[in-house]
Amino acid sequence: MAVRLFHRMAARSAPAVFVCIGPRMQALVEGLFARAQSRRMESPAGAAILLVAGDIPRRAAVALDRIHDQIPPPRETVHWDGCDDPMTELLAAWARLMAGESGEPDRLPDDPPNPWKGHGDHGQGGEGMMGGVPYGRPMAMTGEDPRDGLKLDAYTMRVGPFAPMLPPGLVLELTLQGDLIASARVTEAPFPQPEDANAPRACAARLLRLLGLGPQADRLLRGTAPRSLNAVRALPVGLGAAGTGGDARTRLRGWLEGKPAEGPPPDIPRLLEGREWHEAVVLLNSWPPDTIRQAAEAAR
Amino acid sequence: MTPLVLALPVALLAGAWLGAWLDRLVPVLWGRPAQGPFGPLRDGAALLARPTATTEAPDRLTRWLAPGTYLALAAVGLSVIPMAPGLAPLDSSVGIVVWGACEALTVIAVFLHGWSPNAPFPLIGAYRYVAIGLPVMLPSMFVLIAAALPAESLSLVQVVEAQREVWNVLRQPMGLPLFLLVGLTLTLRGPFDFADGADIAGGTSGQESGPGRALWQLARLTMLTAFSAMAATAFLGGPLGPGLPGPAWLALKTAAVMAVTVGLGHTVARTTPSQMLHPLWVGALPLSFLHLALAGWVAL
Amino acid sequence: MGGAVTLAAVILLGLFAVWSGCRVFVVDSMVRASFSLMLSFFCTGGIALVLHADYLGAATVFMMAVEMMVMAIFMIMFMMNPAGLNPMVMVHQNRLSIAAGAAAFALLAGAVLLSDLPDRPVDPARDTTANLGTELLGPSMLIFETAGVTLLAAMVGAVVLSSHRGRFGDTDAGACPPGLTEGGPPAGRRPEEGGGHGHGGGNG
Repeated sequence: MAVRLFHRMAARSAPAVFVCIGPRMQALVEGLFARAQSRRMESPAGAAILLVAGDIPRRAAVALDRIHDQIPPPRETVHWDGCDDPMTELLAAWARLMAGESGEPDRLPDDPPNPWKGHGDHGQGGEGMMGGVPYGRPMAMTGEDPRDGLKLDAYTMRVGPFAPMLPPGLVLELTLQGDLIASARVTEAPFPQPEDANAPRACAARLLRLLGLGPQADRLLRGTAPRSLNAVRALPVGLGAAGTGGDARTRLRGWLEGKPAEGPPPDIPRLLEGREWHEAVVLLNSWPPDTIRQAAEAAR
Repeated sequence: MTPLVLALPVALLAGAWLGAWLDRLVPVLWGRPAQGPFGPLRDGAALLARPTATTEAPDRLTRWLAPGTYLALAAVGLSVIPMAPGLAPLDSSVGIVVWGACEALTVIAVFLHGWSPNAPFPLIGAYRYVAIGLPVMLPSMFVLIAAALPAESLSLVQVVEAQREVWNVLRQPMGLPLFLLVGLTLTLRGPFDFADGADIAGGTSGQESGPGRALWQLARLTMLTAFSAMAATAFLGGPLGPGLPGPAWLALKTAAVMAVTVGLGHTVARTTPSQMLHPLWVGALPLSFLHLALAGWVAL
Repeated sequence: MGGAVTLAAVILLGLFAVWSGCRVFVVDSMVRASFSLMLSFFCTGGIALVLHADYLGAATVFMMAVEMMVMAIFMIMFMMNPAGLNPMVMVHQNRLSIAAGAAAFALLAGAVLLSDLPDRPVDPARDTTANLGTELLGPSMLIFETAGVTLLAAMVGAVVLSSHRGRFGDTDAGACPPGLTEGGPPAGRRPEEGGGHGHGGGNG
């Protein structure tokens, strides 16, 4: 009885979805989740359903499979081509999962990229305390700091192509010192998106969400001005200043007034170097996706 | 210790439910569809119905210990607060210092929560939260000491007694606004949510699902309850009030502080961490000195 | 009865303090080591609480929480092996450390055993927090206030030095003070070529 009630309650909650956005689908997906019948999760671990929006290009297929496997089982995949409303399918998949059905198996083998074994006194693969490739992972070693001269450990990671805070398709290879970007490289450009993704409202909503104003962003996408005490002032003055286009703050103010952003595409590696992660993400979202795509194509 | 300790779990759970409901009600102001009082319970059931996600080589013990500690800190913090005049579950003669210790340990709980999954974004959230959390704790201490001055005691029972004539919110007008900053930080909300933000894909809880995520969310909400009760006690006279019994007054005032905290979390945008440090060190800290000096002068 | 419970609590807390203290040298990560040390300090705070030194106990927990957090961050920041992937040796100069540890233990244990410990039961109703406050802000006020204000100034100074945004602009933008005349060279002394950090003799 109690168990039945529990499952019924769980099934009436909004589906927890992680979205992989393909070409031409960005604005459609953002509009879908602004209507608030399902929750767009920020990471695969928190989701139960993988929504694949559009045709994912071959170059992102492995990343898609990896995200699929990062959703804790039981999980289901829903494909959406943007024509009809995917809500019925999402709700049906959610109901099945909450009723305890088994869902889909892993697509990739669940092996660590390197075994947790190797050479050395303890099988760690390195010698002494520094250097080497312990357990197949290159040891983080100190590197020159771009900002204040503190030689901190550098760590290289790849973000994208489905990272929810970046334009879909963009893959960056970043060397981080803490949350400071020591160097950045664009390995893949964002997928092409039609004009609706560059609309001032859609761009402003993306920035507002990053500033912690999710419900306000949804309100904006539905067509009403957001109510916030400091949305524009939260962006530091001069961040992402680009000639005539002004800085990120002027671009957000313009978007909120319905004016499209102007200005040349930025040089992404130079833009990101020496920035901390929050600033970098705000910067990348302070230009329309199309401008970022041109910049990424140029930097690749 | 009094039998009132048995009321603590009830108060914490009721407060957590109210906090979660307010979180879903406040966006109604921005045109989201309203959710009934069962919304939080449904979402909680959906979380519990999901499995716990795993990461590669996590610290399994700490992964459970961190949310558990957070929850325990909320419980200990609430336990020193008088529920009726002269009657606290744990009548400590240094209640304010006990609460201060809970605040300081919250920073550690959040740090360990981001550290234990062994993943980059949670770790960035963990470090960033420490950088913001520690400078927020300093004004908090001065504000609490100021609240203790009229009572000439660190016991919260005495702090309440000293507000029979005038509430501290009138005697020390800067206290409650400064303390609200602390509350937003302690509960990872809005402008101070540097641990679990959208720019780092959910941050410290980005790798969590199922019961682990549910426990973390519950701990955040119970901390919101404990903080709101503490603010109501230190500035709004706690259980003092005409007509109604003491616990009812405390519950009403707690709910009011909670609504304000949740509302602020949804309206104030988050700025970048480096920009945030500036107002904290240059604004909030000197303001809290001034506040303490003024409170001392008034108390004399 | 009350005495036996107190004694048992003190012994248990003491044993846990020793155990978590030992963990500091066994675990292979700076974070685990720092927070093991913190647990050990918490036990001493707990002993103070059991002995009715409420303020000292709570303040120990409170101070140690912040201190160990800062220590963990700095240790990771300046470690050559931050992830603990290579097995770390947490002890150095073993012989010297063992000798120093044994000597310190013998000295302290000897002091405890040989000295004539006071046996003056305090009235449980006595407000020890108020006594402590009177002591700190009475006879010891000068020391206490000097130390407190110095520490605060050091803290603010450290933050100012490490701040990205300086008085004359961002640190990475080659911040320099404005000129004394309009458009003139920057005021104040200028660092030598290649940065002025610690090379000495830069200001002729």
